[in-house]
Amino acid sequence: MDLHLDRISHRYGRVEVLSDISLTIPQGRIVCIVGPSGCGKSTLLRMIGGLERPDQGAVLQQGEVPGDCLNPLTFVFQDFALLPWRTVAGNVALVLEDHALPRAQRERIVADVLARTKLTDFRDALPKQLSGGMKQRVAIARALAVNPAVMLMDEPLSALDAQTRELLMDDLVALWTRAPFTAVYVTHNLAEAVRLGHRIVVLSRRPGRIREVVSIDTPLAERRAGDPALEAHQARLWQLMRDEAEAADMELSHV
Amino acid sequence: MSDLPLSGQPPQRDDARPVPFRGGGFKPVRVRYLGAAVIVALILLVEWGTRTGVISNLTLPRPSDVLGTFHDLWVTGMLWEHLIPSVTRLAVGSALGVSTGIAVGVMIGLFSLARAGLVPLVAAIFPIPKIALLPLFVIWFGIDEGSKYALIALGTFTPTVVSTYGAVDNVDRTLIRMGQSFGLGWWSIVRKIVLPGALPGILSGLRIGLSIGIILLVAAEMLGARHGIGAYILEAGSLYDLERLFAGVVILSALGVLTSGVIGWAERRLLSWRI
Amino acid sequence: MSTFSRRGAIGLLGGAAALPMLGRPALANTKLNIGALNFTSHAASFIAFERGYFAEEGFDVEFKFFQAAQPMAVAIASGDADYAVTAISGGLISLAEKGAVKVIGGSLSEEKGVDGQKILASDAAYQAGLTSAAMLDGKKFGITQAGSSFHYMGAKIAAAEGATMEFVPLQKVGSVIGALKTGQIDAWTIVPHIAKPLAAGPEVHIIGDVADYLPDYQVTTIFTSASNASGERAKTEAVLRALSKGADDFNAALIDKTTSEAEMEEMVKLIHKYVNADQPYDKARGSIVNGAMRLNAGAALNTTSVKDQLDWFIAEGLVKDSITMEMLVDPSFVQTM
Repeated sequence: MDLHLDRISHRYGRVEVLSDISLTIPQGRIVCIVGPSGCGKSTLLRMIGGLERPDQGAVLQQGEVPGDCLNPLTFVFQDFALLPWRTVAGNVALVLEDHALPRAQRERIVADVLARTKLTDFRDALPKQLSGGMKQRVAIARALAVNPAVMLMDEPLSALDAQTRELLMDDLVALWTRAPFTAVYVTHNLAEAVRLGHRIVVLSRRPGRIREVVSIDTPLAERRAGDPALEAHQARLWQLMRDEAEAADMELSHV
Repeated sequence: MSDLPLSGQPPQRDDARPVPFRGGGFKPVRVRYLGAAVIVALILLVEWGTRTGVISNLTLPRPSDVLGTFHDLWVTGMLWEHLIPSVTRLAVGSALGVSTGIAVGVMIGLFSLARAGLVPLVAAIFPIPKIALLPLFVIWFGIDEGSKYALIALGTFTPTVVSTYGAVDNVDRTLIRMGQSFGLGWWSIVRKIVLPGALPGILSGLRIGLSIGIILLVAAEMLGARHGIGAYILEAGSLYDLERLFAGVVILSALGVLTSGVIGWAERRLLSWRI
Repeated sequence: MSTFSRRGAIGLLGGAAALPMLGRPALANTKLNIGALNFTSHAASFIAFERGYFAEEGFDVEFKFFQAAQPMAVAIASGDADYAVTAISGGLISLAEKGAVKVIGGSLSEEKGVDGQKILASDAAYQAGLTSAAMLDGKKFGITQAGSSFHYMGAKIAAAEGATMEFVPLQKVGSVIGALKTGQIDAWTIVPHIAKPLAAGPEVHIIGDVADYLPDYQVTTIFTSASNASGERAKTEAVLRALSKGADDFNAALIDKTTSEAEMEEMVKLIHKYVNADQPYDKARGSIVNGAMRLNAGAALNTTSVKDQLDWFIAEGLVKDSITMEMLVDPSFVQTM
């Protein structure tokens, strides 16, 4: 399933936050959206996921949703959004409970996604017992459980420390390589963008417009930290963003 | 080796001195048994005072006489005669008040219409001294158990409503967004996200509600009750029988400690997921 | 420790061993707090104040008003009131047992031939057949508190009729009236100046007289702190003198009717300042005139009735059985019967 963003504009009261965004998210690709803080990238993601309505324009789905997909547009949140009163397995099971699935199938799905995210040993742990990286792996497992057509990831690694971030990026790459998924990945971290994005969309400061779309052709599995080609992409992206970030930093917050 | 060793022996100089510690205090330390010791000391002081006559028998009863009254209550079976009606009233009244309070509180928390319509009403009911309504309740619900249940129910209802909708308001919105983003149904979100998330606030509201229930027990038994701890205390007060008065008050305190303990146990059981 | 006052108690708790006794001469310009209810039965106090009988004895009187009899006994014990008139209640007896208060004289009493306290029935009970006190068996009888005079009267009437009643404590006279009017209780007894206006309405009926069951019932007594009784003899006698003059005026105007019509009218007006003051005079007048009961001349005390009351309280287990008439009553001030 592909997603098309058709001339999306949006304002909060008198503040225009998004202006005339048109974009295609092709199946099986990871599209990263980067931009200075306050450029509306999280708002855009919520619109893609149907949690918010744009003032103008529309988000369109095209193509068939896979038959075993339970929740086509599935979020992974920055702060994990795990229910603290449920175990790891319980948090994953939560999103299956509203679907009429045989009990055995439900348990098989839970076991499968926990295995894929290397959480099998922690299935009965409570979130308070887990590190930040593990919590986000639970959230990713939960997202995988509904077999999404598109994963909508809102700065999923921002709340983690640098080492954990590296490890999780490796995990995400491994997951994608095993079974390529479609994703929109919002971040302000350019290193993440060049590491995970097939396409990188650079938004301007508020009101957010598309400044440029960068494509990186190196297969995800072959990208390494310190790769000169990637460093060049990152430097170029920084160039594009630097002025915007600086100007955005000087603005008074309207939110 | 450089001039400045990064590790190892401290420099051997005369003016080296420890950094003064400034971080003391402001940190409650758990001291065991002191609370009980203070109570015991106070009781012993009163016993001594009443025995020597320093404390007149009009001021305080002798603790050993209060104990004797307890013994009489126990032996004659009057303890249960008074305790069972009171506990029943407290249980029925607060069960009614708490359950409707939670239901209304959740509704206020979830529906803007309920919030706009009911919050002012609850704010208006909250400060009314419920005792003032007792004669009215007697006419509405009869002089027997009905008016007593109603009084305790109303007394526990308002704090429960307020703490429940506050707790619902405080449920992490990102969890609710998460539920919506996974396509969970409305009822699933309420049952699996909102209610468990509001439980800590609801339980601490319950603590206040039940304490008010115990306070109102005495008021509820003012009209037409011949048995019950409240009636017992009122009768002892009107007869100026200090031993019985204090025995009744001690029973009420024990009831308070007991309900607080039950809620504490429930919190440990149900809220073990909290950090 | 036989003396007590609130200030004294604080002093005692502070460790002082003895109470300072204020030995003032009774006949100086002494401040005096008199405890009272806004009932006709307290008229002697009001008359003595209004007609200057207290002032003649050198007292500067201030009234402390209460809602029920029992708190008055506590106020005497705490030193907030010096003298008071009220019914004998369990609380009063307990305080006497603790050496805090003493009954020193009589005030209101039932007397054959004078309209006294009435037995009332709610309309619902009346329609269901409670038309005389003989039918009280199994009924709900309103009382303020356990050990109140209502409890005593109810129990005595029940005993005389061989009836078993349920006594329903309602704390205040107002609550009892409300419960009777709405049929939550079946029966009650009360002084005539309250009973008659109630029975004038459709909700309440008079079904008998208390005097038929308790002929010389000493309804209210004059009492004071034990220290006043034992240590302030002159002062206490002066108070009793003033109250007796008030009682004589009251009896002359409203019971024996030996005064002129104008004087009686003046007396009713005086009482109306304190009793049913929230009603217009014309309306209040009837209940004051019809509700008058004899006040004991010379504050004479019917110790036979007091003994009967004390025995009942002991028999009911409402007060300790160790208490004696000597603890409750100091009979040295007035004539006893």
